[in-house]
Amino acid sequence: MNETTKAPGIFSREFLAKHVYDIAAYAGLIVTFILFLVFSGSRLSYNLGTVLQSAATYSIIALGAVFVYSMGYMDVSVGQQVGVYAILLIMITNKLGGGTFGVVVGFLAILALALVCGAFNGAVAVWLKLPSIVTSLFLMFFFTGAQLLLMESTGTNSISMQATIKPANRSTYNLVLVICIAAVAILVTYFFKYTKLGKYTRGIGANELATAQSGVATTRYKVLAYMAFGVCVAIGTFVMLMRTGSAGKGTGSGYAMDIMICLILGGMPLSGGMKSKVSSALIGTFTYVLLTNDLTTMGVDLNMINFVKAVIFLAIVLVTCRKKDGVLPR
Amino acid sequence: MKTMKKITSLVLAGAMTASLAGGVTAQAADGKKCTIGVAFYQDSGLAVDATKAYLESLSDTLNVSFTYTVLSMTDEAVNLTTVQELISSGVDGIICTMDLGMTSIVSECEAAGVYIGGYLCDYDTSYTSAYEQVFQSDYFVGTAIDGQAPDDVTGGTTFFESLIEYNERAEEPITHVSMTIFPSWAYPSQQTLADQFVAAVEEYNETAETPITVDPLDEETDILQFTTMDSTYFSKHPDAQAIISFAAGTSFVYPTMVQSGVDLKLFTTSFEGGEEENFGSNGTQTFQQNMVTAVESITYPLVLLLNAINGVEFADQPEDAERVSCSQFCINSDEDMEIFQNSIYYTANANDAMFTAEEVLNMTAYANEEATYADLKDILSHMTIEDLQ
Amino acid sequence: MMKIIKKTGLTLLFPVLMFLVMLAITASTEKCYVNGKLIFLSYDLVRQVIINACMTVCVALAIWLQLKNGRFDFSGGATMILAAIIGGNIGMNAKSAWVALIVAVVVAVILSCFTALVYIVGRLPIIICTIGMTLLYESLTYLVFNANGIRTFYSNASVSFFGRIPGVFLPTALAVAAFVLFTYFTSAGRKGKILSNNQSAGVNIGIDEKKNIFITYIYSGIILGLAAIIYVSQNSVEPQSSLATSSIMFSYIVPVFMGTFIGMASCDVIGIIIAAIGMEILNYGLNCLNLGAGGWQQIIMGVFVLGFYAFSAQIGTIQNILNRLTHKTAKAAP
Repeated sequence: MNETTKAPGIFSREFLAKHVYDIAAYAGLIVTFILFLVFSGSRLSYNLGTVLQSAATYSIIALGAVFVYSMGYMDVSVGQQVGVYAILLIMITNKLGGGTFGVVVGFLAILALALVCGAFNGAVAVWLKLPSIVTSLFLMFFFTGAQLLLMESTGTNSISMQATIKPANRSTYNLVLVICIAAVAILVTYFFKYTKLGKYTRGIGANELATAQSGVATTRYKVLAYMAFGVCVAIGTFVMLMRTGSAGKGTGSGYAMDIMICLILGGMPLSGGMKSKVSSALIGTFTYVLLTNDLTTMGVDLNMINFVKAVIFLAIVLVTCRKKDGVLPR
Repeated sequence: MKTMKKITSLVLAGAMTASLAGGVTAQAADGKKCTIGVAFYQDSGLAVDATKAYLESLSDTLNVSFTYTVLSMTDEAVNLTTVQELISSGVDGIICTMDLGMTSIVSECEAAGVYIGGYLCDYDTSYTSAYEQVFQSDYFVGTAIDGQAPDDVTGGTTFFESLIEYNERAEEPITHVSMTIFPSWAYPSQQTLADQFVAAVEEYNETAETPITVDPLDEETDILQFTTMDSTYFSKHPDAQAIISFAAGTSFVYPTMVQSGVDLKLFTTSFEGGEEENFGSNGTQTFQQNMVTAVESITYPLVLLLNAINGVEFADQPEDAERVSCSQFCINSDEDMEIFQNSIYYTANANDAMFTAEEVLNMTAYANEEATYADLKDILSHMTIEDLQ
Repeated sequence: MMKIIKKTGLTLLFPVLMFLVMLAITASTEKCYVNGKLIFLSYDLVRQVIINACMTVCVALAIWLQLKNGRFDFSGGATMILAAIIGGNIGMNAKSAWVALIVAVVVAVILSCFTALVYIVGRLPIIICTIGMTLLYESLTYLVFNANGIRTFYSNASVSFFGRIPGVFLPTALAVAAFVLFTYFTSAGRKGKILSNNQSAGVNIGIDEKKNIFITYIYSGIILGLAAIIYVSQNSVEPQSSLATSSIMFSYIVPVFMGTFIGMASCDVIGIIIAAIGMEILNYGLNCLNLGAGGWQQIIMGVFVLGFYAFSAQIGTIQNILNRLTHKTAKAAP
């Protein structure tokens, strides 16, 4: 084999230089995990469940968001969508007697709504020649209002689901969560790496004009990407409700920013393009959740927690997102 | 304060009797070394600082270390995670200041064998829709409410009394007021408070020389949707001389009053700090009443948690956990404000607290065999401004 | 002359139209009358629109200054809040509105320069960099002044002078002056425009990008400091976390985009001022209708934002149709 085509060894300078961003993202995850092991002490197994449970919703939604972020877009309405879907799922389930049938119908209803919203985000922005952030801004306003009105109609601060969708046994529940995350991750990886959907969304992120000029129906793939994200939002909402069993006027608020932080920590380029990776969603989510968990178990002072988080965030992105040369990145 | 001293002396006498009888071993009196997590509804502010100062002053004597965290006001999942993280950090008990996601939180505590109590919260949602899961749980010890329970309110009359006291000393009495409340789906008791206030005024008007007009509560204008009041409120209540704000007026009403330059009096719940500058006869004289719950009310869930952690309970403890109303500091004169400014709520100095660590220890069932649940509950009804004197 | 009248008319069209629409709606709604008087038409309308528009203009200009130079800066809100807390507390202790103003501006400039430094040295994409700086500045709000923020500044009549009429005009005028000075009268402003249009070309023709960024951030810091003094003079400011300051900033972003569209008839700074006034008239009208908060307000705002953007995006098409129609009419005329 020719010397020049030989793949560099994993400890070679060339390999390290090429994969410095990935290494840094993984290093962040490993460091937070080591701290987690050290400070969980005798409650390690319980704490593992805690991390898994709090990461489940974020990771499923973040996995879906990979399609949208790989195009260089973002969706600021995701938190409010989660809130409304959660309330609707509870209302429909309770209305239909609080049984399995109600849960299934409720889930199908929010799935349909999520697909419509995905299509709206993708298609309307193109038809009206608007930046996609504007349609998601509209949906954010709309869903914030809808969430408030829905809760007002219930006359209470928080509504609970009459059906129990959470497995009674903690181990079974954790196993269900692992299966959910793994299933979504496998499906997203398949569609993102091995189908036209992933290829073209990355293409749109890298250069939309060039992608369109090479014969790709970009509008169609934008819509499909947003719809794929919508499916993940609906599943994420279901997983969240499995955990809490209730929802209120502020459920989901802040998710848009949290998802963005997770993806950044995982090394996802916000400009999208060919360097977008599915692994960013999982690495980022678990780093973010573990970091918060570590700071609590370490007993860091309440007023210092945000400072420590900010410094760690900056330290990670300074390694993972640093652009080496050329003009300053935007 | 006299009432407090009486209660304290009774508690101490009980402790001495118990010690003399030799029924309390040294270790049992000290209680197990444990950790209690306190999950606040906000991460800063007077109440938070004062509560921390009070708890830290109890730490050594009670053999408890405290760890603090903050809950989300909007997200059940975040609150569950926060509680799970506290459990992971090894706490033996949790004091939680918010009723959001409680069914899943209590079930998590049950699974982990960690006790949980409430503070500054009526847990109304859980009380009305998840009583069995929360109040009947073996791991939920009860809650001290921020004021009165929705079925037990008397605050409307207190507002009326403050208004009458103001009128008695003012050169120009107030004859026309308007009101504000938060939505009833979030604060169900505030509508009752308003109704009580109106009823008290109507009764007063039957014999009064100068009757007081109350603008009826308008469900669109007078209900604050957790955003600062908008300035058109004043145009919609053009004759009002004072606002009776059952909603937290310092944060939600006062900024708009200042910005609009209106010269009205404000009778409100809450005290955020800084109101004293314009209170009573000081400054702009806008604030004429503030009402807050003493931070020492945390003693109620704390003692119940310590008992539970030490495996004991009061002989007269009810089977189900309770939500107990607290009397409040109603500050409605310069003298009251002066007294309040010497309380731990304002100074965040544990020396100004109503109870010392020894007194709290003697409220527990494991340190004092004579201690009763009724006595513990009773302290919550003696936390008024008069008790500070 | 006709051109100037036409431009002025087009520029003023938005607030005038907004005023007339809200007047018509409120006048036909019974609940907007108290004692037979229409509450929409009051001095309070003028006062609220002026006070709120001044605040909006300052934040909107700070956002636009960075956007215009090709950068979306998330950290503006956090810079403003931290400057407000530090300036407010020091001003409160000194019992001086002027001290508060100067400290707020100095702190905002220092923070902005630090953001620029991290951006330049770290070579991070601007959104990621400014999200990091937002998290950092927000965390500092818990580490200064015992995490108490500044709660009573606005209620002290003398120190909160810059939050009310006429005091509010000074920081607003200074912010507008700083924006105009930078954009139209400094070489950094002109070079920034080149860099914004074609970054690589700008650097290749010898523009010192780093220096340009620093100067831009100094001006944006000045404007944010001036916004901070108005903000702290009108609101209780609490420590912030979880990117909440970006929401504060986003709440002022609608007039930025509207302003750039309205400003097509004149210039961006006038467009932003006019858009801010128009939006405040809309808000005041909604308040009169009791729709200023809650679910319906959010939905109305969402529909309005989408409708406005959709209209402005189609303006080229609409103009073409109008031109064609005018052309046809002219041809048809004898």
